[in-house]
Parts: sequence; structure tokens; C-alpha cells
Amino acid sequence: MGKLFFNAIATLIILASGNMQAMAASQEAQVKELKSKVESLEAELGEMKARLDQLLQADSPESKVAELEDRLNDVEIQQQEWESSDSSVHLAGYAAAGYTNRENEVDSFGGLNFNPIFHYQYKDFLLFESELEFEIAEDGETEVALEYASIDLLFSDYATLLAGKFQSPLGQFRQNIHPAWINKFPSAPPGFGHDGAAPTAEVGLQLRGGFKTEGATRFNYAAYVGNGPELELNPSGDEIEAVGTEGFTSNADDNPAYGGRVAVLPIPSLELGVSGATSRVALDGERDRSYSVLGADFWWQWMQYQMRGEYVRQEVGSESLSVAPEGQEWESWYVQGSYRLPSMPWEGVVRYSDFESTHDDQSQEQWGVGVNYLFASNVIWKLAYEFNDGLTGTSNDSDRFLTQITYGF
Amino acid sequence: MNYLKLITFSLKAVGALLACALLQTSALAANASHQAGEATAGAQAWAEVCGRCHNVRAPTDFTDAEWEPIVTHMRVRAGMTGQESRDVLTFLQAANSPNIQVAAVQKTSAGDGSGQTGKAIYEQTCQACHGADGRGPIPGVPDFTTPSGVLSKSEAVLLKNIRDGYQSPGASMAMPAKGGNPSLGESDLQRVLEYIQSRFGKGGE
Repeated sequence: MGKLFFNAIATLIILASGNMQAMAASQEAQVKELKSKVESLEAELGEMKARLDQLLQADSPESKVAELEDRLNDVEIQQQEWESSDSSVHLAGYAAAGYTNRENEVDSFGGLNFNPIFHYQYKDFLLFESELEFEIAEDGETEVALEYASIDLLFSDYATLLAGKFQSPLGQFRQNIHPAWINKFPSAPPGFGHDGAAPTAEVGLQLRGGFKTEGATRFNYAAYVGNGPELELNPSGDEIEAVGTEGFTSNADDNPAYGGRVAVLPIPSLELGVSGATSRVALDGERDRSYSVLGADFWWQWMQYQMRGEYVRQEVGSESLSVAPEGQEWESWYVQGSYRLPSMPWEGVVRYSDFESTHDDQSQEQWGVGVNYLFASNVIWKLAYEFNDGLTGTSNDSDRFLTQITYGF
Repeated sequence: MNYLKLITFSLKAVGALLACALLQTSALAANASHQAGEATAGAQAWAEVCGRCHNVRAPTDFTDAEWEPIVTHMRVRAGMTGQESRDVLTFLQAANSPNIQVAAVQKTSAGDGSGQTGKAIYEQTCQACHGADGRGPIPGVPDFTTPSGVLSKSEAVLLKNIRDGYQSPGASMAMPAKGGNPSLGESDLQRVLEYIQSRFGKGGE
């Protein structure tokens, strides 16, 4: 019995000792694990601290100032490059779309054109300017024309020399008023479009500029020499139907044309101008005949009222030995008044035009009334009605309603 | 080609080359001696010349770099002198970024101004567009003399409009900040407003 008890006690002691050893081993493993975790946490904490330091450093006022200084420096360099550049470029132009309802004809959308204008300037003394005209014809074809392209040498404060194709400086409408966003009416006055009484363009050299007196009086002038016009015969070939003045790069009759305009502004709100041109023209293989243009124009503004007008007469002399011996005349004038409602985007326009030609089917008298809404000074919606009086049975005799939206950019 | 025609052509070509050289020399000499643009004169020329043909475009329509060839183009078209075009360019480039300039001016002027009278400021900076009689000779510019017109607004609103620039409802062009003259300080604005109110507002002339 005593021996049995002793054995049991010994067994228990052995078991307890083994258990204690196992427990000690387990605790050691736990300590190791904890130590590992602590080390891992210390490492993570170290990383976080480093990142926090970085973040704190990045957000410090000094670093922000340094970053802003760098960015400002970049912007300054870019700005200086723009300012110090010898060349500058600008793409301008205008576009228009319209709708026409002519008496006794089918209504149609049309009058769609896009006229990009390119300006390239070199320093303060050279400008290249050019305008293209993209227009969709009635048959859907896109027509492209070079309205003007000239190199302008600004050799004095009072004079610029243009070389190339330029818009006719005779009068005001063709050179300055015809762009859709400038013209207050959706159409050109009769006689001031293509093949009318007013020349449209010229290829050659032009000298133009302006000067100012001690008082408020201003003067401006333009003088040119160019290839001149070409005569156009009617379908039967026995009459001169029109004078082509679109600006030709050939001079078939070997006669240059000379012309110009001078204008005075006695006060800033009034401009008075006179124009003239002369040349000799000839049909192919024929003798020369005379050619001349005379014109006058004015512009006046008072408060919200504006009035402008223009007269032009184009004449071709007779030549007895020609297939078209008779001389011809085209004469046109218009007066246009407009009133802008104060502090409102509405504008009313009235225009009277009378185009007389030795060809009755070309002549046209016109009254036009219109209302314009200005979304902005360069975005205008126009609504107009023309009362037309021409040769019975021709389109010149039918009244029409026009509307146009135009954008100058 | 016969010899006579060849000689004539050669003489013309030499003449043209000499003319070109002369013109370039003139251009360089003219540009070297020209005066810098002046913003106040430019504002007046801008108001008087541009409206002859088209609605006046606001200075903010284009950037400084874009205005450069545009103004040169207009110089050729409108018959402006070189000095007028430099003045107009200076005005447009000063008047087309109002917010930045106002902030800059506020920092530097600290509310002080030129010390000029309201009348002098009006004549130099405002009159070109608003007219000597305050009736606004340019379409879209308000008539100060209208009894219930712009001058019926509160002084605070009017000052803000002068300071920051303003586009009247329906007007096709905006008045640039400080009339395009960033050198004006707060006291200048106050004096010119007092002058405008006394001259054209109720109780004015």
C-alpha cells in the first residue's frame, strides 16, 4: 500500500514536471511571438513616422512656397517667351447662316458661309493678313475663294505698304462693312456685291495710312496700283455685261489701274470720303477703252443713332471697232440708318438703295427694314424684309424676307 | 525676250529691291524711335475708331498676345496712326484681365490713389466712352442723365461696378475694371463716383 502510494506520488510529480516543461516551452514561444509582433509594430511605426515626417515636411509653408516659386518661375518663363517672341499669330473670321423667303419662290435655308481670317505679325513692322471664303452653292458644292492675302509693311507711323490681293479701298462697304457680323443687314446693298457698281478687290500694291492734326481732325488715305479689271461679255457676245473686279493675277490688256480714297473726320463721329480709280481696258485682241470709278461715302453717329451712305459710279467707254461697241455704266448708292435701344440688345435698321445699270435686268431699287438682336457685340441675329423694284419678271423685282445668324470671332 | 525688255525689267527689279531696302530701313528706324503706348489715350481712340465700322469688342474678348495682330490689322483697316494703335493696344492689354489687376492694385495702392480730382479722372479715364455730357456716345453705353438710370443704384453697387467692371444688361460690351485704368486706387474711385453723381445725377447739371 505504501509502495503504491509512493509510486502514484512519483508519477504525479513526473507528470507535473513534464507539464511545467511544456508550459515553459509554450510561454517561451508566446514571448517570441510577442517579441516578433512588437518588432513588426516598431518597424511599421518607424515607417509611419518617416512618412508622417515626409508629409509634415511637404505641407510646411517653406516647401509650399518653394513649390509655388517653381511653378511661378515656369509661368514667368512661358509668359516671357510669349512677350519676347518676334512673331504673333491670330485666327479670326466670321460665319453666317440664313433663311430666305422670296416672293413667288420656294423658301430655303442658305447663305451659309465661313470666312477664316489669318493674321501673322512679325515684330512691329510686318503683318500678313488673309481671308478665305468657304461658301456652299445652291447645288451643294463648296466654293472656296481667297478674298484677300497681303503682306503689309508698316514702314512709318503714318503709312503702310500692302503687296498682294487686297479688298478695294474705293468706298467703305467692300473694304470694311461687308463681313456678315459687321453689316447690319443680311444682304449687301444692290450694286455693292459681286459684278455690281463697286469694285471688290485688286491685285497689286497699295499705300495706306492715316494722320491726326493737333485738334480732333483725323485723315485717312489709300492709293493703289494694280492689274485692274476685266470686261465680261453677255451670252450673245455683243454687249459688255459686267466688269470683273475680283482681283486678277494677270493683266490681259497690259494696262495698270490706279485708284484711291481720301477721307476726313472733322469730328470723331463724322467721316467723309471720296474715291476714284482709272485705267484702260480692252477685250481680247481689241483696242483699249476708258475705265473709271468715282465714289463718295459718309458715316455719322450721334448717341444711339448711326447713319452711313455711299455712292459709286463705274463706267466703261465705247469702242467703235469692238464686238461690243457700246459703253456701259453702273451706278449705285445707299443710305442706311440704325438705332440701338439704350441698354437693350435690340437694334433697328432701315436702308434705301438704288442701283442703275445700262442693262435694265440688273437695275434694282430697294427699301429694306430690319431688326437685329445682339446676343453679344459679335453674335447677331438679323431679321429683315426687302421691298424690291426691278425689271418685271426677274428676281430683282420680287420682295423677300431674310433672316441670318452671324458670329464674328 | 529682246534686250530692251530685259534691260527695262532689270532696272525695275533693281528699283524694287532698293525701294524694299529703303522701306525696311525706314520701318526699323520708325519702330526704334516710337513712343510707348498710353492707356488713357488708347481708351479714347478705341471708343472713337472701332465703332466706325463694327460693334465695339470688349477688351476681355482676347488675350494680350491675340490683341497684338488684331490691333495691327485694325490700324491698317481704319487708318489709325502707329501711335494710336500702340495706345489702343496698351489700353486693351491693361483692361482685359481685371481680376488679377484689381488684386495687384489693391495690394500696391492700399486704397490710396493718384490724388487727382474726380473731374480729372473722369475726363482721362471715363469720358472716352461715357461722353463729356454723360450720355454715352457709344451704343450700349448707359446714359447717366436718365432719372431712373444707372445712377439710381446704391453707391456701394456703383463703386463695385467701377472697381470690378460691369456689363449693363443688353449692352454688347463691358466696361473694364476701373475703366481700364488699373492705376486708380479706392479713393480715386470714390472721387470719380462723387463727381459723376454730382454732375449727371439728381441735382446735377
